[in-house]
Amino acid sequence: MQLTKKEIPFIQNQVYLLILSLILTVGSIILIAIHGLTFGIDFKGGIKLQYHFNKSVETGQVQEMLAKTLHEKVAVQQFGDPKENTFAFDILKPTQGIEDFSLSVTKALDGHFGAGFATLLKEESVGPKAGQELKRKGQLAVIVACILILIYLGYRFDFYFSPGAILALIHDIIITLGAFAVTGREINLTVVAAFLTIVGYSVNDTIIVYDRIRENALKYKTLPIPQLVNRSINETLSRTIVTSLVVFFVVFVLFLKGEGDIQDFAFAMIVGVITGTYSSIFIASPIYIFLKKHAHRFSK
Amino acid sequence: MPKPWRLKIYLVLFLAVVAVYILLPTFLGFKPLREQAENTGKEVPGYVSLFPEKELNLGLDLRGGIYLELEVSVAEAVNNRLDLMAGEISRFLKEEKVEGAIADRIPKTYRIRVLLPDPSAVKKLKDHMNDYYHGALSEERAGSELVYRSEEKDESKLQALYQQLAKGLSPKEVEVERSGGSDLFRIVLKTARESDAIRSVISSQFPELKETGDPYKVILVALDPYLEKLRSDSVKQAVETIRNRIDRYGVAEPSIRQLGESRVVVELPGVTDPDRAISIVKKAGKLEFKLVDESKKDEEVQVLVADIRKQSQIPEGFTEEVVTALNEAAKGKIPAEDQIVFELQHDPVTKKVVGGTPYLLKRKAEVSGDMLKAAQVSVHDNEPYVSISFNAVGTKAFADLTAANVGKRLAILLDGNVTTAPVIKSAIPSGEAQITLGYGNYQFLLKRAEDLVLVLREGALPASLKEITKTVIGPSLGKSAIHKGLIAALIAGITVVVFMALYYKLSGLIADCVLGLNVLYILGLLALFQATLTLPGIAGIVLTMGMALDANILIFERIREEIKNGKMAKAAIEAGFSNAWTAVVDTHITTFLSGMVLYQFGTGPIRGFAVTLMIGVATTLFTAYWVTRLVFEYLTVKMKIQKVSI
Repeated sequence: MQLTKKEIPFIQNQVYLLILSLILTVGSIILIAIHGLTFGIDFKGGIKLQYHFNKSVETGQVQEMLAKTLHEKVAVQQFGDPKENTFAFDILKPTQGIEDFSLSVTKALDGHFGAGFATLLKEESVGPKAGQELKRKGQLAVIVACILILIYLGYRFDFYFSPGAILALIHDIIITLGAFAVTGREINLTVVAAFLTIVGYSVNDTIIVYDRIRENALKYKTLPIPQLVNRSINETLSRTIVTSLVVFFVVFVLFLKGEGDIQDFAFAMIVGVITGTYSSIFIASPIYIFLKKHAHRFSK
Repeated sequence: MPKPWRLKIYLVLFLAVVAVYILLPTFLGFKPLREQAENTGKEVPGYVSLFPEKELNLGLDLRGGIYLELEVSVAEAVNNRLDLMAGEISRFLKEEKVEGAIADRIPKTYRIRVLLPDPSAVKKLKDHMNDYYHGALSEERAGSELVYRSEEKDESKLQALYQQLAKGLSPKEVEVERSGGSDLFRIVLKTARESDAIRSVISSQFPELKETGDPYKVILVALDPYLEKLRSDSVKQAVETIRNRIDRYGVAEPSIRQLGESRVVVELPGVTDPDRAISIVKKAGKLEFKLVDESKKDEEVQVLVADIRKQSQIPEGFTEEVVTALNEAAKGKIPAEDQIVFELQHDPVTKKVVGGTPYLLKRKAEVSGDMLKAAQVSVHDNEPYVSISFNAVGTKAFADLTAANVGKRLAILLDGNVTTAPVIKSAIPSGEAQITLGYGNYQFLLKRAEDLVLVLREGALPASLKEITKTVIGPSLGKSAIHKGLIAALIAGITVVVFMALYYKLSGLIADCVLGLNVLYILGLLALFQATLTLPGIAGIVLTMGMALDANILIFERIREEIKNGKMAKAAIEAGFSNAWTAVVDTHITTFLSGMVLYQFGTGPIRGFAVTLMIGVATTLFTAYWVTRLVFEYLTVKMKIQKVSI
């Protein structure tokens, strides 16, 4: 027998949460429009160098020196642990060809700060055409993944379920993009990988709730839809929280311990896990209820 | 219902043992041992050869190296080829003593225009086209050119008319041409469709011009399939050429492959001197023809080379350095004017160099690549062969060479490696030679002929390479990346494992053990598929661990619920697993779908992430659901445990 226990009234309070979501989503869109998104050289084209210096120097000093000797606008940033003296150089619009760029930078650094000062650890260069192509592929990847997943959901569940999953997904992606706009973090290939993972995760979360709704619908045939959904959310709540915590642990550790690409990946995942958990309860489920309630009007 | 417990348990254990067996060489570092043994010519230690050669590959970001994406300028290759063909036709007409003939390329199009003095020359040209350019060029029927004649004879008035005409037609995007002193005006159209519009403009604005046919002009247009083949050939050729050069340079596991239509991807793991490697990839190729010294038999040369290697302790391998050292050591043992050169054998699948046949060649190159005019695949009596032709200098050199050396072999060398060494069957004074390719079925011979043509054209058809993207990762960064990646993965793993044990008690511990098994399976499969482990790949494994635990959490929560509902241990477990099944499957399939998309659209490290994600999802479904269920059922059914610690 089902024991009577107190259920948290998620659905009863959905209005406030929907408003919150709306504010977050619209806010994100506005932020993206104002701040714009910072794309990495993967998508913009340009050169990224990573150097180890044998003594610590001011980033401004390096920047000034390069502007003077090479006439290049180079953004220099400390990378990872400050003790390691590692610096990342971003050159978005190199004035010379990408072929021998790093050579002339190394020469200029060694010439100014003394021989053996700079060791090139990593060099990435992407031509502007290749960048455009990667960007297009990245966008296409996210869209194709969404479509494939929705086709699968449509096949496994039904018409009432899939729209909620779509909107929850869009909600998650927009808010994560918004977080990137606010923090000014760079969107690169790895972040696109994170977006696809978020797509998978968000849908996972929605599936768990939907799966329970489908099961309960057969069990409690007389229960009104909102109560049915609320009960399903409550029943799956412990799983949702535990799983989200576990995934959160993992990505949080990656965020703290990782550097560069891995950290960007982890940042996207942290935002995605939070919104993904939230949206399956407060976006996907209410939409299901709405469609169930009003479906007869459309079908007339 | 009796369950085949033993079988199931043995299966799980067997798979685990297989995974350990596959992974041991990676973790015990057998590869360096193997390479060392190979280089010194000693036997591989017995225990090493018991294990598979396949190992877990580390990606460029973990071991350091170079990733290059090069664009082959196919347009340039096509342009060069068309210019070359126009030149060839011009030369043919000159040889045929056709006076006043002109063959030139119409700029910015794939057309060659040939102007001829009389109909007999037209016939000659058409016969020549049928014989040599069948399938490549065809005569264009529809006029893509309009020709007008003016009755005016005065040069300055004609010049003025020319300028008016050019101005009057300038909005039409056509080109107006006039050769000095001629009363003919040629209007070159981009498409034949425009011709009526142009005609009406001219008849209204320039009534003094009369359209005239030009029977002695032939427009040859390159056929689309031919252009397509030319483009794809130039990319294939670039891939082959780069592979050949890298083999000379000697990189442990290079990967050179075509990407899309006109890109070549070059991955050189562990290379520490990127600038040298890149210059080797991009330098112009060198094609040479050298005579084989037939005074020693092939077997004798092989024995000789093996002896020299042993005596001078020169390692196995066929890189430029090794071959130079070999030749240095061979001084006094081979004639002074000779050198040792290898023909490399490649594994047909992995394209790795698997062996080399030594040749004793005359040092002097008798004929060089720049003397070669053309090379193409021809078929006679259903047998594909390669026909080549030389320019004037080459014809003379080749005629002398073949006349003096009938019965000997002539080796064709590309960038210092022998490609093939056909026998000179007779003197060839004409500069046109055929290279037959031995025995084999049609497809095999065709493939060989095509490969040889690619090599031969190397000198004749240069398509330049442009760097599109380049990633160079220093080896020290690679090491610290592994270190940091592993530490992050370990910390994340331990946190999660401890949490599971605390939250789900004994069941959590079981899930943890199964998770360990899962990671073992993932790594084993990665090694088996020879997949590449990248830094994002490690992130993928960590993420899979999260997914695996999600499946277990889902099941455990379900079991807790069933117990709350008053079910006994066995029934609760049964119900928990079967009720959670649909959700577990759905979540795994959707994750697998995004992994698939990622693999399709991603490159390099991102693909590594996608591969681990897909493999991880498959093993997770097996371990987190099936193996965990096996353990639980074993405990409740066989061990008769009545209470679940969850």
